[in-house]
Amino acid sequence: MSAEKEFTTQESLQLISRMISKAKDDYIETGVTALMWGAIITFCSLVALFKYLFFPAWEWVDAVWWLTFLGVIPQIVIAQREKKLRKHRGHDDYLRGGVWISFGIAIILMNYFLLRYNFPQPISVYLILYGIPTFAIGFGRRFRAMIIGGVACWVFAILSSITPGPWQLLYLAGGSQLAWFIPGLILRKRYLKAKQNNV
Amino acid sequence: MFKDLNPILHSQLRLALVSILISVKEAEFTFLKEKTSATAGNLSVQINKLKEAGYIDVSKQFKDNYPQTICKITPQGVLAFEQYVKDLQSYLDIKK
Repeated sequence: MSAEKEFTTQESLQLISRMISKAKDDYIETGVTALMWGAIITFCSLVALFKYLFFPAWEWVDAVWWLTFLGVIPQIVIAQREKKLRKHRGHDDYLRGGVWISFGIAIILMNYFLLRYNFPQPISVYLILYGIPTFAIGFGRRFRAMIIGGVACWVFAILSSITPGPWQLLYLAGGSQLAWFIPGLILRKRYLKAKQNNV
Repeated sequence: MFKDLNPILHSQLRLALVSILISVKEAEFTFLKEKTSATAGNLSVQINKLKEAGYIDVSKQFKDNYPQTICKITPQGVLAFEQYVKDLQSYLDIKK
């Protein structure tokens, strides 16, 4: 691209819109975080369901939920790596960060209250919480998969409240698939395609 | 009558740079180079011109022991870009 080359007003407008869309196209996430959390929550829910159905006496299997805490470690590593790779910062980066941090704090508080008091429908409350950042980020980014995922979590929250016992865990697995794993797959595919185009 | 287009912005590479910088909060030199497909030398010259006009802020820092140049549009740059787009629109309206 030359600096001083003569160009028409029409070409100016075309250049502006081309550059804006080029910069926008670069707002591509690797999708790894979404895939990881979708997989962890689905795995924990299915293992817990399996335990309740077939081996209810195996209390130790409940330790599988600790994976959700351990997941924070790779999350931090991935976030640091992605931060290093990024060559620009978007206008809404801090806002998105704030939404996910608030979600993390809400989940920690929810776990605290769950351990301290006996919650009547903990899975429904988890699903309500899952839906908030998913819908908010999806809505802000106009990313349909996350909007659907967020709404699905809220629908599953209602359904889980009228579903008996351990079967509610299926809604938790379904919610994490629709809110994170599937959007994560879409983001990953977009990221790999963009990476291939840039080579 | 249409206004004269801002000569600082009415240049392919400088307009491309400002258009990218208006879409992001801040961008590294390498990002701008990749998106505009300009040479490093030419890009540096144009970035300096925009900086001298007060349209962008340029800061230098180190990332993993490598020097890094970060560019960010200033409020003055945003105003100039908005005015440039308005002028372009009025110019196109007159031509119709």
